[in-house]
Amino acid sequence: MSRSKLAITLIAALLLASLLGVRFGSVPLTTGDVLGVLAGGGDDVQRDIVMRFRLPRVLLGMLVGGGLALAGATFQALLRNPLAEPYILGISGGASLGAVSVLALGLAAWGSWTLPLAAFAGALLAIVLVFRLATATGQAMDVRVLLLSGVVIAAFFSACIAFILAVSPARTVRSAVMWMMGSLDGATWGSVTLTAVYTLPAAAVLIALARPLNLMAIGEETAYYLGADVEGVKRVSLVIAALITAAGVAVAGVIGFVGLVVPHAVRLLVGSDHRALLPLSFLGGAAFLTSADLVARVAMDPAEVPIGVITAFVGVPFFLLLLRRSMSRA
Amino acid sequence: MRLDTRDLVVRYPGQQRPALDGVTMHVPAGTIYAVLGPNGSGKSTLMRAMLGIVNIQGGEALLDGKAIGSWDRRGLAQVVGAVSQSETISFPMTVREMVAMGRYPHLGPLEGEDDEDRAAIRNAVAQCDVTDLETRDVTTLSAGERQRVRIARALAQEPKVLVLDEPTSSLDIKHEMAILELLKRSVESGITVLLITHGLNLASRFADRMLLLSEGRVAAEGSPAEVVTVDVLTEVYGWPISVDHDEATGWPRVTPLRG
Amino acid sequence: MRRTPAEPIGRFALLFVLSLGACQDTASGEPEPLPEGIRAIDASGAQVALGEPAQRIISLVPSATQTLQALGVGDLLVGRTDYDTGAWLADVPSVGGGLDPNLEEIIALRPDLVIRFGGNQDPRTPARLDEFGITHAAVRPDRIADLYASVILLGRLTGADQAADSLVTAIEEGLAELSRNAESLPRLRAAYVLGGTPPWVAGPNTYIDEILDLLGADNVFSDLGALYTSVSREEIRARDIDVVLVSDASQFDGTLAPDARVVEIGSALEVPGPDVVRSARDVAELLRGPSGR
Repeated sequence: MSRSKLAITLIAALLLASLLGVRFGSVPLTTGDVLGVLAGGGDDVQRDIVMRFRLPRVLLGMLVGGGLALAGATFQALLRNPLAEPYILGISGGASLGAVSVLALGLAAWGSWTLPLAAFAGALLAIVLVFRLATATGQAMDVRVLLLSGVVIAAFFSACIAFILAVSPARTVRSAVMWMMGSLDGATWGSVTLTAVYTLPAAAVLIALARPLNLMAIGEETAYYLGADVEGVKRVSLVIAALITAAGVAVAGVIGFVGLVVPHAVRLLVGSDHRALLPLSFLGGAAFLTSADLVARVAMDPAEVPIGVITAFVGVPFFLLLLRRSMSRA
Repeated sequence: MRLDTRDLVVRYPGQQRPALDGVTMHVPAGTIYAVLGPNGSGKSTLMRAMLGIVNIQGGEALLDGKAIGSWDRRGLAQVVGAVSQSETISFPMTVREMVAMGRYPHLGPLEGEDDEDRAAIRNAVAQCDVTDLETRDVTTLSAGERQRVRIARALAQEPKVLVLDEPTSSLDIKHEMAILELLKRSVESGITVLLITHGLNLASRFADRMLLLSEGRVAAEGSPAEVVTVDVLTEVYGWPISVDHDEATGWPRVTPLRG
Repeated sequence: MRRTPAEPIGRFALLFVLSLGACQDTASGEPEPLPEGIRAIDASGAQVALGEPAQRIISLVPSATQTLQALGVGDLLVGRTDYDTGAWLADVPSVGGGLDPNLEEIIALRPDLVIRFGGNQDPRTPARLDEFGITHAAVRPDRIADLYASVILLGRLTGADQAADSLVTAIEEGLAELSRNAESLPRLRAAYVLGGTPPWVAGPNTYIDEILDLLGADNVFSDLGALYTSVSREEIRARDIDVVLVSDASQFDGTLAPDARVVEIGSALEVPGPDVVRSARDVAELLRGPSGR
C-alpha cells in the first residue's frame, strides 16, 4: 500500500470514528440532538453529554492512542526489538503503583488531579530508576541493559501493587483493578488541553528524528558510520517516548496493545521507513483508540466495558489478519 | 584521501593487553590497503578507530591529515563509507530502502531524495549486482546477498574512503571476484580502500600495500611481496606455511601445510 | 411492591430450620431436654452438625459477628477478622482477613464452629477446615433474606433460637414500619454511586436496591444487567435522578447530577447486618431531606 493511500485511509477512519464517537454513546441521542448542540442549542443535559463528556473523550482518545502508538514505534526502533511497546520500561508499573497507593490511602477524589498526578509521578519514578540502572556502568547506554532493567523494575512494582491490594478492602481492590484496565471516561477539557500541549510537540520532535531512528533500527554501529548522533538521539527519543507514555497512562490508565500492534500493522502496510511509520502510527493509534472507546461505550450499553479489553479483543485478530496477508505475499 | 596512524594505542576497559599497541600505518590515497592477521590481532579495532567509534588511549589516527576525533560525525560520514562484518536486522525493509540510507549523511533533516541521490543509489545497486533484488525484503536474503547490499549502501555514500571488514566472507567466487574488481575500479577513480580480510591469496593479488597485525602490533608492512613471506606468516599465524608463485600470473600463492 | 419480599421468606426459613430440630423433640410435657444434636442447613446448602450449642466461635464474616452480639451470645466469640471493629471485640484476637484467614491462628484458637462466607470466593478455607475436622457454617451477607437466614442459623447453632426469632421479628416489623411511612410519600428516583472512573453504580437485585425500594425510592439503574456496573458519566447525567447516595461526598462530582441532592451515607448500606433497621432509618431521614419524613 502506498504511504499517501494509508495516510488518507487513516485520516478518514479517524474522522469517522470521531464523528461516530460524538454521535453515539450509552445515552441515546438523535443526530438532530447532537447537531443541535453543536449549533449552539440543545438542553442542559444534551449539551453536557456532547460538549462535556463525548467531545473531550474523543479528543483524548486521539491524543492518547496516537501517543502510545508513536511511543511504541520509537521503542521498537531504539531497542531493535519487535516486542517492544510503550510500557516496556516499567512505566505502566510505576504509574499503577502511584494510582493504587492513592486509592489505598483514600486520597483520590473525582474531578481532582490527585490520581493522574500520582500516576504520572509513579511513571517518572520508573523511568528514572530504569535509566539509572542502565547507565550505572558510566558507559554509553546499552539498550539491552535498559530492556532488562525495565523488566526488573516492572516486576518489582507489580509486587508492591500486589502487596498493597492484599491488605486493602475489596472496594479499593476493585477501584485499583478498574483503573489499571484503563478508561477515557474521566476526560475533561482541562485534561485534553494539558495532554495536547504536552503530546503534540513531543510527537513532532520524535517524527523529526525519523531518519536517525531508521539508522538506529539497523544497529548502533551502522548508525554511527552513517553519521547519526547515536547517543544523543537515543537519549532524547527514549526520554520523550517515555514521557508521552507516562502522560497517556496518567490520564487514561493502562491501555494495552495500541503501542504494540499499531506500529506493526503500519509497518506491514508501508514498511519500516520511520519517516512514514512514525506519523502514520500516530494516526493509526488515534483512529484505533477512538474507535475502541466508541465500542467500549455502546457494546454493553448502558454499562461501559474497560477499554483495554476492547483493544485486546480487536487488536489481536486484526493484527493476525495483516500478518497472514503479509506472509502470503512474501 | 589518505589514512594514517602513528603509534596508535587502543585499550578496551577491563582487558589485559591493549587491542592495538603502537600501530603505525600509512595508507596512500587511491590505493587498496589490506590489513590481515590472526583472530584477535586488532584488525576490527583498527577499523573502529579509523571510523571514530572507539576512544584512543595513545598515538593518533588521521584522515586526510586531520585527527579522526576532530572530524564532525556527519562530515566523516560524507567521506567514509564503512561495511562492518555483520548486522542483525530486526525489521523488514526493502533492499532499495537499505541502500538509500547511504545517502543520509548528505541529506538535511527535512530534505528528501533528489535526482543526484537517486542516481547514486542506482549506480551503487548496479555495481553490486543487486538490481533484481531491489524490491526484496532484506530479511529474506541470503548472507551473501545481504553483504552485497551493505556494500552498495556504502557505495551510495559516494565516499572518498571505503573501509571494509571482511566484505567477501559470505560471497561465492563470482561475487567475491566481482567485488574485488569493483574495489580495484573504485581505486582507479580515486577512492582509498582499507580492506580487512583473512584471504591471504586474494589480498596479495589485489592489494597495493598490506599490513600484518599480530597481538595488537605490526608484524609486517609493505607491498604484498614484502609481507607475504614464509617466515613472517609462519610466525604470525603459528602454522607452517609455504609460499610460492603462480607460474602464469606471478601472483603469490599461500598454502598451509600439515600441522 | 413496597412490602419487603424477605418477610414471608424469613418466616419460611424459620419454620424450615425449626422443623429439622423438631424431629428430636420428646413427647412428654416436662421441660424439654437439650436436643441430642443440632443440625442445620447453611447458606451453601451444606448440612452443619454440632453435638451441642457452639461455645467457641470464630466469625470470618463481620455481619455474622454483629449478629452474634445482637443475639446476646457475643461472648462465645473467640476469633474475628481484621475488618471487625467495635470496642467489645478488643480482647478477641483477629485471624486476618475474612476471605483469606490465617489457618494456623484459627486452629490454635480451638473453635467448635467457624462462620465463613458462602459463595465461591474462597474455596480453600472450607477445604482446610474440613481437613482439620473443624465444623464450619456458611452465611451470605448479600440481601435481607440472607440476613434472616443467617440470624436463624446462628441462633440455631448457639442455642439462641428464641433470641433469633425475636430479632427476626423485630427487623421485619422495623422494616415494615419504614415501608409504611414511605407509602404516603412521593417515590424518589435514586442512585447509589460508588466512585471510580468510569463511575460504578449499584444495579438491580442488590441490597441497596432492596432498601431503596422499601424506603419509597426507585433505583434509576435497575435496568442494568449486573449487580454493580461501571457506566459512562453521560449515563448518570442523562438520567432523571432526585437523590444520589454516596459513601463519601468528596468522591462524587456533583455536576454529574446538578438537579439532584447528594446524600452521604458512609458505609450504612454496604452489607445487611442486624442493625439494618437503624441504618435504613438513617438513610430514610437523609433521603427525605432536612424537611423530615
